[in-house]
Amino acid sequence: MSSTLADTAGEGPRSDTTPTAAKGLIETLVTLVRRELWEHRALWLAPLIVAGLLALCAAIGRVHMQVEDSAVIHGEAQRVAVFTIIQAVLAIPLYLVAMLVAGFYLLDCLYAERKDRSILFWKSLPVSDALTVSAKMLVALVVVPLGVFALALVAHLLFTAILGARVLFGTLPPIFSWSTYEWARTETVMLLVTVLAVLWYAPLAAYLLLMSVWVRRGPMLWATLPLVLGPVLEWVAFGTRHLMDFINYRINGIWWLLGVQHTQLITKHEVRAVGTALGVLDFRGVLTSIDLWLGLAVAAALVYVTIRMRRYRDDS
Amino acid sequence: MTAVVEARGLTKHYGATRALEDVSFSVEAGRIVGLIGPNGAGKTTALKAILGLTTFTGELRVLGLDPCRERDALMREVCFIADVAVLPRWLRVSQALDFVEGVHPRFDRTVAENFLTKTDIHMASRVRELSKGMVTQLHLALVLAIDARLLVLDEPTLGLDLLYRRSFYDTLLNDYFDKQRTILLTTHQVEEVENLFTDVIFINHGRVALNAAVEDLPARYQQLNLAAEQAERARALQPFYEREVFGRVSMYFEGRTAEELGRYGELRTPSIADLFVAKMQGNARP
Repeated sequence: MSSTLADTAGEGPRSDTTPTAAKGLIETLVTLVRRELWEHRALWLAPLIVAGLLALCAAIGRVHMQVEDSAVIHGEAQRVAVFTIIQAVLAIPLYLVAMLVAGFYLLDCLYAERKDRSILFWKSLPVSDALTVSAKMLVALVVVPLGVFALALVAHLLFTAILGARVLFGTLPPIFSWSTYEWARTETVMLLVTVLAVLWYAPLAAYLLLMSVWVRRGPMLWATLPLVLGPVLEWVAFGTRHLMDFINYRINGIWWLLGVQHTQLITKHEVRAVGTALGVLDFRGVLTSIDLWLGLAVAAALVYVTIRMRRYRDDS
Repeated sequence: MTAVVEARGLTKHYGATRALEDVSFSVEAGRIVGLIGPNGAGKTTALKAILGLTTFTGELRVLGLDPCRERDALMREVCFIADVAVLPRWLRVSQALDFVEGVHPRFDRTVAENFLTKTDIHMASRVRELSKGMVTQLHLALVLAIDARLLVLDEPTLGLDLLYRRSFYDTLLNDYFDKQRTILLTTHQVEEVENLFTDVIFINHGRVALNAAVEDLPARYQQLNLAAEQAERARALQPFYEREVFGRVSMYFEGRTAEELGRYGELRTPSIADLFVAKMQGNARP
């Protein structure tokens, strides 16, 4: 326990110029988001892998086309429409896998830090519970959706380049044509739907986060149990299915409100460009729906409860 | 000078268990305070209260702040190592530095990097690849680089071998401690670190059993080693604890003078470890 001169001199004087003010909010948030992506690598790995598989399909996949279908695809307008449909359909698996990993992420993030006892390390740093929880919502509701939107965009360009090359070499019939205007319109549809879906699913995300901070073990089980048991109990007790309808509505309601069923892109006689959905889908109706805003209010309340619960949560 | 920690009537019950019962103490700046007690004595609860990790009743100010309501501000000035191996296993060493640098306004990355170059820890390693001793070194590197006013260490060297333990405390004393800083430390290995402390607080059954500056101990406590046949006469002076080893008796007294005790045998100042045992065992006896 002896202190030698060499030891103390070796370190040099500590700088007294360390800033005492709090780090900027943006810098802290960026750090918190990076930390989430370090820990939960599935958030970006899983969509990337799916995108890679899709590109592989584009390169080696065979196109089976029925004669009647190919007969329909005559003329430039039809080929542009096919092009936009490829653009939209390609995005679907990416969005599905992103929603899945984001859901698992929300269920796990506040549970994992207690399970591996790292919560006391995170809490030893000047980051408030509000900021920590907000960063996790930010990852699930902003970073992942915008990330998958960008990934879908890049994947589609890659896909188009591969298919284009195959058409050029004659190994694929010329079934599609590039149109920058329709491309931009399709991207617009996807961005608008993404934003509205994020707003609609925010309470569900907050529910998963609350389960993650709440349960002592098995967050997966505890999160799904009330959703399954509730409707069953209601049906047994009262013979009604209000809860079931409600859960169904909170999961699928946005697609009814948007009126997805009215967008008939592929009919027997023609193929319509995805951009036509801009005139069909009821974006305004969703935004002015009281259910959307009630859901957001519930999400805010659940996030608040989550923050309060993390306050006195530790490893014990 | 205002106290770094000021506790008055600190009380915390977990159901029927009384973790802390009317605990009062204060810690001045520039001290190294050992918070010592048997398992379940309430040490960790006291530290958690100081760090704003648990609710309590009573009054508690840490650096003039209320640790419950002003925890976020407090954490800029306070650092703690709660236990070994609480660093997340997936974290890379470089990421640990990136993260603390990104969120802590008082973190000096070069200090941490300089310290790490003296160890076998590689920047690209994950925590799960490091030995227990190395994880503690990494945590120490982070803590050394934070310019905090109060450092709280709860069993920081638990489960480490002697070499790591020794180098941990040497680093703490040589590279970290100065008169502006305060360290609050709990440990079971009292013998190893007793030269480190400037103050000791013994906690037992949720109460403070002793609270003293180490420099005041010789005047307050005496250990008398004497032959067994002398013991009966010395007992008249009311030792609060005694034990017999190989026919020699050690008696522990509070507030006696050398003149009173010196004629019965060999007089010395008890070590903190011996005093701790004496206090805990002595108080436990009816």
